[in-house]
Amino acid sequence: MSGAGDREPVFPTRQSLGLMKAKLKGAETGHNLLKRKSEALTNPNTVPEITRRIDEAKRKMGRVMQIASLSLAEVTYAVGGNIGYQIQESAKSARFRVRAKQENVSGVLLPAFEAYQTEGNNDFAMTGLGKGGQQVQRCRETYARAVEALVELASLQTAFVILDEVIKVVNRRVNAIEHVIIPRTENTIKYINSELDELDREEFYRLKKVANKKQRDTAAADAEMKKKNAEREANGEKHKAPEVDDSTPADILQAEGDEDIIF
Amino acid sequence: MEGLLFNVNNGYLEGIVRGYRNGLLTGANYTNMTQCENIDDLKLQLGPAYGDFLAALPPNPSTSSLAAKTTEKLVSEFRYVRANAVGSLAKFMDYLTYGYMIDNVALLITGTLHERDTRELLDRCHPLGWFETMPVLCVATNIEELYNSVLIETPLAPYFKGSLIHQDLDELNIEIVRNTLYKNYLEDFYRFVNSHPDMAGTPTSEVMSELLEFEADRRAINITLNSFGTELSKADRKKLYPSFGSLYPEGTLMLSRADDFEGVRLAVEGVADYKSFFEAAGLGGGPGGPGNMAGGTGSDGRSLEDMFYQKEMEIAKGTFTRQFTYAIVYSWVKLREQEIRNITWIAECIAQNQKERIGNYISVF
Amino acid sequence: MSAQTDFRDRQFLAVIGDEDSVTGLLLAGIGHVTPPPDNQKNFLVVDNKTDNAAIEAAFDKFSTERKDIAIILINQHVADRIRHRIDTYTAAFPTVLEIPSKDHPYDPEKDSVLRRIRRLFGE
Repeated sequence: MSGAGDREPVFPTRQSLGLMKAKLKGAETGHNLLKRKSEALTNPNTVPEITRRIDEAKRKMGRVMQIASLSLAEVTYAVGGNIGYQIQESAKSARFRVRAKQENVSGVLLPAFEAYQTEGNNDFAMTGLGKGGQQVQRCRETYARAVEALVELASLQTAFVILDEVIKVVNRRVNAIEHVIIPRTENTIKYINSELDELDREEFYRLKKVANKKQRDTAAADAEMKKKNAEREANGEKHKAPEVDDSTPADILQAEGDEDIIF
Repeated sequence: MEGLLFNVNNGYLEGIVRGYRNGLLTGANYTNMTQCENIDDLKLQLGPAYGDFLAALPPNPSTSSLAAKTTEKLVSEFRYVRANAVGSLAKFMDYLTYGYMIDNVALLITGTLHERDTRELLDRCHPLGWFETMPVLCVATNIEELYNSVLIETPLAPYFKGSLIHQDLDELNIEIVRNTLYKNYLEDFYRFVNSHPDMAGTPTSEVMSELLEFEADRRAINITLNSFGTELSKADRKKLYPSFGSLYPEGTLMLSRADDFEGVRLAVEGVADYKSFFEAAGLGGGPGGPGNMAGGTGSDGRSLEDMFYQKEMEIAKGTFTRQFTYAIVYSWVKLREQEIRNITWIAECIAQNQKERIGNYISVF
Repeated sequence: MSAQTDFRDRQFLAVIGDEDSVTGLLLAGIGHVTPPPDNQKNFLVVDNKTDNAAIEAAFDKFSTERKDIAIILINQHVADRIRHRIDTYTAAFPTVLEIPSKDHPYDPEKDSVLRRIRRLFGE
């Protein structure tokens, strides 16, 4: 793992170790922040809130549209015929439009639609003049309310789509940091450390060797010295050193031999 | 006197139509229908009355196909009666179809104005307003050609002539065109039932006058109410009022001057029926005006429109107490149309799961 | 997120649906026809005779070609006919909203966005 694993292509130097450590720290901080952002986006109040509202709104929409269709049925009932074609042909300019504005959720800009109705252009004022006009106007109001609900839902949905995209990006980044960048940096650090250790050991061994050699040299030098001294002494005071050496061992052997017999 | 010879030509048809009238759904039928859980149940309930016509429908049909099939039955019965009618009754029945014809022609005008292929509009036309030369109108590519073909090919020519020139079709709102035609049609029909030698002075003219007068009043009131807040000027509005009816002339004059719901209410005060309608509608809607009648979501408040329909159905029902009259054909068609509307409404309420307003149908039997 | 630059121009709604849905929504006032000579409508009526290619073409026009549409409303049963297009459509603008129609009640299981929500929460 350590050396063979995925790592940055760096020279194992102390400087790059420092760099890597800084990078790891940065990655961890970034990971924490992104994780928190992702949590902020997915967990507490935003996305579930939005999705819950979408879910609710979608279900509510079914109901709203049913009411609206019934009011259209009422028009058909009162007018006594289908007005669809006429409506399609007389549509000219949209009275009902939307305006987009932005909303900030955890640092993500979400667009929101706002419905508004332009004044004074009514393509269908005359529809049902002789019969059913009141129903037509009422139906228009009902449908306008329904469309408002739809617009609201559309904003939620757009917000969700964008948020979903952002969450995906953030999560991808969190995962990338967590599963790729951090392990890789850690690997690199480990690698650098191991390389450095290796170097240390080599250095130590080398030093030891040097030291040994020095010792040996010293010892040799010492021996040389002794030899010279001994030679010098042998010439002068020859008896001194052998006297000490011979007397002591002789004493020990004698003492031991006596006591063993009793046992 | 009229009873002496009526049956020679028309006895058979009177019998047939009375038979049809007895086939209309009754209050008990409607009560059963409102209990249905889905469209299939409803179809089953309609079985005895509409059997064959509904057989081809798929399970759980859409409300629009249900409406189309029920209309089909009316149309086939109407055609049968028409095919057997002779003399003035045949003419009378033709008059009946002109109303639908106006709607169809208005549709074609809309299509031509927007340069659509009008041939595909033929499917959308009301079958009762179908006339043989209608496909000819589709050949017209511009409004002038269409205007000329309408004058040549359709029985509606008199209604165009004198009140509309071809530029009008281009410039005026189609609703104004439609209502102008309808006004002319109503006046012509009224004149026809009151002046034709077979009908003048008979129960037919008596009953038909009542029905047509009611229709004229209803249109005048509706046009007035619906024109508030639109670009329709008072002078133009006045031109759309039929020149007969129980409101004519004082009521219509006042209507032409009315600016709001209150003004309309004052204008119709002279007629007891309408007065009570407006009082009921006024109570239900409050001071907000006609747009808020039945309160958008309110379920029990009946709109003015509902009350007019109710009244029309009662008059139509009353027609059957008379004998030797063509008016029963008219009444039968109207009753039958209401029945189709009721069925569609109930089906719609069931399909949209809005049972609280299912009782808004109008049943007079 | 480049879409954020152009969303301000988007002010119309578009609709693809059956006649009743379109009529109702037009009554609400969303209908818009661009001035001649284009005469581009922002609505399409779909019936049994409309083929899927026409629906797809309209969907493409509303979703990619036109830059003034903010929301596309489409009947769910119509969306089903071009389901592959709807499901692969991921842009935020214009938003595609599946709506119920009169004869086809709304089924949340089919909705492409609701499915995305479910996927997000791993339900």
